[in-house]
Amino acid sequence: MVVRTRPPASRTAPAAPGGTRGRLRGRRSRAGWAKAPLHLLAITMIVPFYWMVITAFKPVSEITRNPPSFVPESPTTVGYHDPRWRPDADNPGHVAGLFQRFTEVDLGFWRFAVNSVVIATVITVLALLAASLAAYVITKHDIRGRRVIFLMILGSMMIPWQATLVPNYLVVRNLGWVDSYLGYIVPAIPKAFVVFFLVQYLRSIPDDLIEAARIDGAGEWRIWWQVVMPLLRPALAAMSIFVMLNEWNNFLWPLIIVESDQMANLPVALARLNSAFTGAQHMGVIMAASLLASLPTVVFFLLFQKHFTRGIAMSGLKG
Amino acid sequence: MATAAVDRRKGRHTGPGLGSAARRVRRDMTSYLMLLPFLALFTGFLVWPLINSLYLSLTTFNGVKPPRFVGLANFRRLLQDERFLHALSNTLVYVLAAVVLTSGFALALALAFRGQGWGDRVMRTIFFLPSVTSTIALFLMWRWIFAAEDYGLANTVFGWFGGDPVAWLATPSLTVPVMVLMATWSGMGYAMVIFVAGLNTIPEEYYEAARIDGATTWQQFRGITLPLLRPVTTYVVVTTMIAAFQVFEAVYIVFRQVSNVGGVLDSGLMIVPYLYDMGFTKFQLGYASAIAWALFLIIFVISLVQLRIGRAMREL
Repeated sequence: MVVRTRPPASRTAPAAPGGTRGRLRGRRSRAGWAKAPLHLLAITMIVPFYWMVITAFKPVSEITRNPPSFVPESPTTVGYHDPRWRPDADNPGHVAGLFQRFTEVDLGFWRFAVNSVVIATVITVLALLAASLAAYVITKHDIRGRRVIFLMILGSMMIPWQATLVPNYLVVRNLGWVDSYLGYIVPAIPKAFVVFFLVQYLRSIPDDLIEAARIDGAGEWRIWWQVVMPLLRPALAAMSIFVMLNEWNNFLWPLIIVESDQMANLPVALARLNSAFTGAQHMGVIMAASLLASLPTVVFFLLFQKHFTRGIAMSGLKG
Repeated sequence: MATAAVDRRKGRHTGPGLGSAARRVRRDMTSYLMLLPFLALFTGFLVWPLINSLYLSLTTFNGVKPPRFVGLANFRRLLQDERFLHALSNTLVYVLAAVVLTSGFALALALAFRGQGWGDRVMRTIFFLPSVTSTIALFLMWRWIFAAEDYGLANTVFGWFGGDPVAWLATPSLTVPVMVLMATWSGMGYAMVIFVAGLNTIPEEYYEAARIDGATTWQQFRGITLPLLRPVTTYVVVTTMIAAFQVFEAVYIVFRQVSNVGGVLDSGLMIVPYLYDMGFTKFQLGYASAIAWALFLIIFVISLVQLRIGRAMREL
């Protein structure tokens, strides 16, 4: 592993005893002042999120008021469900809440969330399985052509995936996978970067364990599943976060292959919501949807922070 | 194929008692079988599309009638296409500004909040938050913050300082700066995490030795941190750059106009949005493929430069 966990490497750490302490304290407070602008910057990180949250809970009249309120004066959930909205009446004060829209789709708005979860999960699982098999063979099997194969995989990392957008769309269209889960999932499974990362990781693992399993008579599939996969666990965890986040946010590919209402994932549903309603009175609904779409990953991140940042750091430093 | 391979090669993993050729053939078969899921999809959805994209870039193709070969006409058209050249120069300005600001802020943040104390961890969490939030949701949020009316947050803050409401999203000269702002805001936390990891691999002893020699904080930064952080810096700069070249959502969500994807007077037109516009709203798939190849070549060159820099660094 490249990421070494070491004790806090702060330059102001009170390592030296006695005499230097006073000087160190002085330095620390100076450093503290130097950080002040960065703390201000942190506030600018929070404000937009705060704005999204309060807008999602403001009534229409308060959203368009000038000057705007920084604390919602009459918080409301009409952005989600407006009890006074009627499907036939065109009452400008009352627009349909988020859960009152998309009546043509099963489950309404939740359908898009289900789509997003299913697609991101299945892609992550299949991508990691396929990549770990490939990485295992490339590092631990001495077959012909593995160098060429690995070189091709490395080379493909330089290809921006948009370069293959048009032909991939044509392939998916010819297969009849437009507007289907297959169209989402199958093209997203081969991930060169994941193979590269797992190969790097497997190279640092000695062959002895695999050799021992082989002598014990274990088949290659069993070795992969029962020896290699457990060894790869930290690397797989890092990559699953990496792949999952990317797929959760994927927009351009779904935008191209999704036609019907019920096949949209959250990003596409949000974009459609946005282009269908541009008036300020719909902003509460759009912010409500944005909040819901952001919540799962943010909550996951807050719960498993260490793994997220470690995963990102690992994938960064291996490159 | 597998049999021939076995004859010529001394299997590295052929342990004692596993000498029989039949067994090796079977194992090689298994190896290829294990590679198959990845390789088949890799070929089908990466290698073949890339080749196909090159072919399509030499044709006129609307997705319905069969492609008609036109040689390099698409590429000649690219060089004279004012919208493309505009998209290209927009992208270059945007990439340069976004990369410099993102990497610079990320490094400053990493130096400031690299510790393990709870304060530093909270700060890192705050800056990393945009990286885990739905991209589209973030852009919708920005759209609202930059609302032209005086109830938009940006205009409210501007008003405190006596400014008149600005039509942020409808002023061509503000398009690229707003995009750079959004990119930096959402990208610096990710880069910061990578910098923090890089900083933590630098042995603390170096700093101790430097302090004993009386080096100032600035000298330590110049003499130890920067040189040892160079591979990480290269990585951050190159990945930020490649990601910036591929910008799409910001243009599509924040600056989309009724009739085109480029924002007011194409002021926010970039390479990928232009590719999307040509390919999937105007259905000029051949021309879109030529744009795709132009993007590929740019990124290819950057990657090569990175490789060369990386190699040069190692030789130093």
